[in-house]
Amino acid sequence: MFASKVLRQAAQLAERTPSIRFIGKRSVPSSVDHTPHPHPASPTGSLPQGFTSSHASFSSYRDHAQQFGPLRKTITSSSGGVGGLAGSDLGPVAPPKGYYFDRNDLPARFHRAPLTAAEIEAIETGGAAAFA
Amino acid sequence: MLSQRVIGRALARPAFGPSGLPRVLPSARWNRTFASAAEEQDLVIIGGGVAGQEGMKVTCIEKRGTLGGTCLNVGCIPSKSLLNNSHLYHQILHDSKHRGIEVGDVKLNLKQLMKAKDESVNGLTKGVEFLLKKNGVEYIKGTGSFQDEHTIKVELNDGGETSVVGKHILIATGSEATPFPGLEIDEKRVITSTGAIALEEVPKKLTVIGGGIIGLEMASVWSRLGSDVTVVEFLDQIGGPGMDLEIAKQAQKILKKQGIKFKTSTKVVSGDKSGEQVKLEVDSAKGGKPETLEADVVLVAIGRRPYTGGLGLENIGLELDERGRVIIDSEYRTKLPHIRCVGDVTFGPMLAHKAEEEAVAVVEYIKKGYGHVNYGCIPSVMYTSPEVAWVGQSEQDLQKAGIKYRVGTFPFSANSRAKTNLDTEGMVKMLADPETDRLLGVHIIGANAGEMIAEGTLALEYGASSEDIARTCHAHPTLAEAFKEAAMATHGKAIHF
Repeated sequence: MFASKVLRQAAQLAERTPSIRFIGKRSVPSSVDHTPHPHPASPTGSLPQGFTSSHASFSSYRDHAQQFGPLRKTITSSSGGVGGLAGSDLGPVAPPKGYYFDRNDLPARFHRAPLTAAEIEAIETGGAAAFA
Repeated sequence: MLSQRVIGRALARPAFGPSGLPRVLPSARWNRTFASAAEEQDLVIIGGGVAGQEGMKVTCIEKRGTLGGTCLNVGCIPSKSLLNNSHLYHQILHDSKHRGIEVGDVKLNLKQLMKAKDESVNGLTKGVEFLLKKNGVEYIKGTGSFQDEHTIKVELNDGGETSVVGKHILIATGSEATPFPGLEIDEKRVITSTGAIALEEVPKKLTVIGGGIIGLEMASVWSRLGSDVTVVEFLDQIGGPGMDLEIAKQAQKILKKQGIKFKTSTKVVSGDKSGEQVKLEVDSAKGGKPETLEADVVLVAIGRRPYTGGLGLENIGLELDERGRVIIDSEYRTKLPHIRCVGDVTFGPMLAHKAEEEAVAVVEYIKKGYGHVNYGCIPSVMYTSPEVAWVGQSEQDLQKAGIKYRVGTFPFSANSRAKTNLDTEGMVKMLADPETDRLLGVHIIGANAGEMIAEGTLALEYGASSEDIARTCHAHPTLAEAFKEAAMATHGKAIHF
């Protein structure tokens, strides 16, 4: 009886299709739904209210947006960050009368070129050092 | 990687010096300094259990001082060292003579046993540190807390403070042992798993509160080393959630034979450590006679809870659920989509390999927009002797869900390799769909079950039928043949049983 069962199974073997099949190289699906869904291991199987509506307005979107780093509308004058003060609040570009900007406060490209020791010597010797 | 450059601006100074003379005035506009603040990272990970690759600029913040998280430092790894070496000691003492090996005076050197454990841990933590270095990950030793949605303030272990700005942030802070109310943990007499891997002497009497995986592994270690161990479990089965009832019963029987006492369906009402011995008042969960248990050391192993203390989640308005887990969606995003969360601190089983899979998926979601973790296919292993391992659904899970199933089992007592090893306790149990024959769950109790479950996990992940496994050639003589035979028993009949 067992032998006949084995024979029957052997006959079936020729037609058998295994469940495991090679499905080819895995690739990222062309369209993925990125809207928030409950986590598969979440005990409640739901997301709390407000979880999906973080970008309900442009203002809230901007709070989370990225452009060369995080964009934050929360920058205020007290934080002193970029955009914390309006340009007009910084005062005029020209110095008030009687005041002068120190060249050293300007960016380096506006500084005087430093003198080399050879230059100094050339000046002090009336140019003779350049031919010594 | 785009760096964020913050242009500092000094406050306007008074126009006149103390002398009243006009002075050279650096106006606010011209006094811009180009001090660069924290450079923005692609990904900041809080918790040193996982690491990112994929060409991202990554910072990892860890306060422990060594990498690897609970698993590597005070969890899976050190406990495996103790389990392995205590098993050897126990085997030499009790299981060598009938194998033809006679040994002389066998002594336990607990200090050396602990040193061997520490060496394994140190080697592995340094290995992780090396991997971070090799992959260009910045590693900051300190405690991180959210300052705002993109900035993490880090209190450095060596003193001082720094901050890190991250485009994406991953919370991977793990978990901590749940304390028993009214019984203060001192890690000497009332201990968690952290203290259980570092005891300085073998306690004469050890009581373990909680018969889950951690409790049973530690009970095994100290029982083998000579402790009189009693395990108190509230439920009527040991092994915790997920372990198949039939397997759990068999495990309890075997562990009892090894000398561990069990008090199942028993509730610990209170504890008192003021005396010389720690006293536990226990009561039968089903209504019975109250009892007092005395022990030199009490191990609290009633579970673990998510660890979010000091993380400053309140500063960014992140919500926790009623069990203190960070709420996430299917892509591990919190309410703030650039902050993701994985591991013990959020949903799912508290297992290191689950956390690792999740961390990889997170990096893939960030880089490729697509990740994958199959929560129906995460293996669990209890490293007692014999080991217990399972993947997929248990009989009770299927019964609860009203899913029909077919069972196939094969005992190791009928396996040739187990026979030659003189280690025949246990069996392989398979559950499959009666119509499609698709594998639904695999449960193993026996030597090397933790390794063998990998085959079951692969089969389950691929959606194999029990016949697929049964028709796959397995080497002879191996323990894995029992796996094949169990598959044969599931869809037809085992040859050797």
